[in-house]
Amino acid sequence: MRLWFGLALLTGPLAAQSVRVRLEGRVPAAAMAIVDSLVQQATQEDLPTEPLVQKALEGGAKHVSAGRIVAAVQLRLVQMRDARTLLVRAGHGPFTAAEVMAVSGTLKRGVPGPVVERLVVALPNESRGSALHAEADLVAHGFDPDSSAGLLVEATRRSLRGGRLLDVSAAVLHALQRGHTRPEALALVRLQLPNVPPAPKPPKASVAGARRPGASSGATPQP
Amino acid sequence: MKPIDPRVHQALDREIAREGLPPELALQVARLEAAAAVLGTAVSQWAGGSVEARVMAAIRRPAPSRMWRLARWLAAPHSVTLRIRPAWSLALAAAVALVTLLPAGDETPSVGEQEGIAQFVARFPGANSVHVAGSFNDWRSGTIPLRDADHDGVWRAAVVLPAGAYEYMFVVDGERWVPDHLADRTVEDDFGRENSVVIVRPAAR
Amino acid sequence: MEVRGDPSDADVVARVLSGDHEAFGLLIRRYEAGLLRFATRMLGDRDVAADAVAESFIRAYRHLASCREPARLRTWLYRIVANRCKSYLARRRMADVPLDDAPPVADPTDNEAALERAEQLALVERALARLASEKREAFLLKHVEGLSYQEMAAVTGERIPTLKMRVHRAREALLQALEEQA
Repeated sequence: MRLWFGLALLTGPLAAQSVRVRLEGRVPAAAMAIVDSLVQQATQEDLPTEPLVQKALEGGAKHVSAGRIVAAVQLRLVQMRDARTLLVRAGHGPFTAAEVMAVSGTLKRGVPGPVVERLVVALPNESRGSALHAEADLVAHGFDPDSSAGLLVEATRRSLRGGRLLDVSAAVLHALQRGHTRPEALALVRLQLPNVPPAPKPPKASVAGARRPGASSGATPQP
Repeated sequence: MKPIDPRVHQALDREIAREGLPPELALQVARLEAAAAVLGTAVSQWAGGSVEARVMAAIRRPAPSRMWRLARWLAAPHSVTLRIRPAWSLALAAAVALVTLLPAGDETPSVGEQEGIAQFVARFPGANSVHVAGSFNDWRSGTIPLRDADHDGVWRAAVVLPAGAYEYMFVVDGERWVPDHLADRTVEDDFGRENSVVIVRPAAR
Repeated sequence: MEVRGDPSDADVVARVLSGDHEAFGLLIRRYEAGLLRFATRMLGDRDVAADAVAESFIRAYRHLASCREPARLRTWLYRIVANRCKSYLARRRMADVPLDDAPPVADPTDNEAALERAEQLALVERALARLASEKREAFLLKHVEGLSYQEMAAVTGERIPTLKMRVHRAREALLQALEEQA
């Protein structure tokens, strides 16, 4: 117990210091203190902090005013609280930071809360992130959220998992591009399940010389 | 699979008359012929245009010019056969091995199990530099350059990243932030503009 | 299908090869329906089948001079489409999986009889989809497209005894599938 307490004392201030180090010189000084306190708040609420840091860095890189950076970071915190509330209401727990971020991102891309909740409840852990992205892709192209969610749930019942659910939404969008109506596109892909075409792998020549970025990565990891 | 009576096959192949078949075999013949008849119904045309219209449009399209065909030939990979003396082939093999062993700038990198490759492509003719910045590199605008290797205004980069979703934009000539118009996922950046989103899937799938 | 009085396939091919590109349209109209039907039953997807048939006709036009027996053009065309379907199936791995039990897309002109026909077709298509692709191909060429075993050999490149065996196995499998679903 004493060891854990000691570690908490050490990691708390160290973590805060590392955030300040990342923001120093990249975010307007006028925004630093407030952003820092928002990050502390997120830590206390057990919410992911990386999306807040990324939003601040993004604003600084885009030369946005301090006020707008603070507003954007505050909004991000609210969005993650909403995501966590949805996950709790879905009876789903314990949940990871990645899941909070995935749900938050999906809500932000316009998928209605009840539909996100339906997907969270219906899908196995390893498929939630991909399914939420697939759903957001379809909604962004004007597909009915409930029908789209129905197709994705059906796909997991037909043993499609993880990234294969992105292949399902890609197949639906492909059918739309070929002239089918939205209901037809969904029905067509439903008929193909589980044999939806996989995403093509990039040819070797196009990925030769691929590099890793130097700075720390701020992904919304796949839950 | 249950074999069927050879007389059913003979009747379907018109080798014997079906009139003399026992009722249960005649029923099997009828069932298969009915299935074939149903499958023989015409298929309605695709909403996007008839096959004939598409084919005739392709046939009527003017043939590409000689210069265009030459450019396409030059750009396409071709196999080349070399005929060399055995003694020289050893020297050539040694030279190839030496070159291969030297570190090269454009090798395909080793990618971890939970990593994938994000490909960025953008058209900016006239640009002096194009970089990509996003949540994978703390939005630093100068660390990941795209390259326009053949100076045709099309810039490219491939980046190894952990699997996940990332927001990003292109930065042209060090100052102009531009969304990826080829990306089919976007999200508001909360600064009045839109970020593009890329999803990196694990390479081992 | 050629009608008495229409130019023969060999005549039309000769016209196209001497520069009358528009004459190729006559060949398309003659064989489009059968090839589209065959490709649709093979691939289980009308639109993918239309792509395959259109690409096959374009390929046939470009290689028309290599059709050694213009009188057997029909067989040659089926060969091109059959090969294209094989490549597609190999890429898409749709060969041996039954269709899902989804309702057909609603057609506003449907009446009861048309609906019943659609349901019968769906039943048979499901049974057909359960066949391995080479058996499905053999059944379709023999019983739907009406090719002789000699013509089927020219289309598929297989020996006649092999084709007869495939047709027999296809009949057995289809009958069993139809009896199970009835």
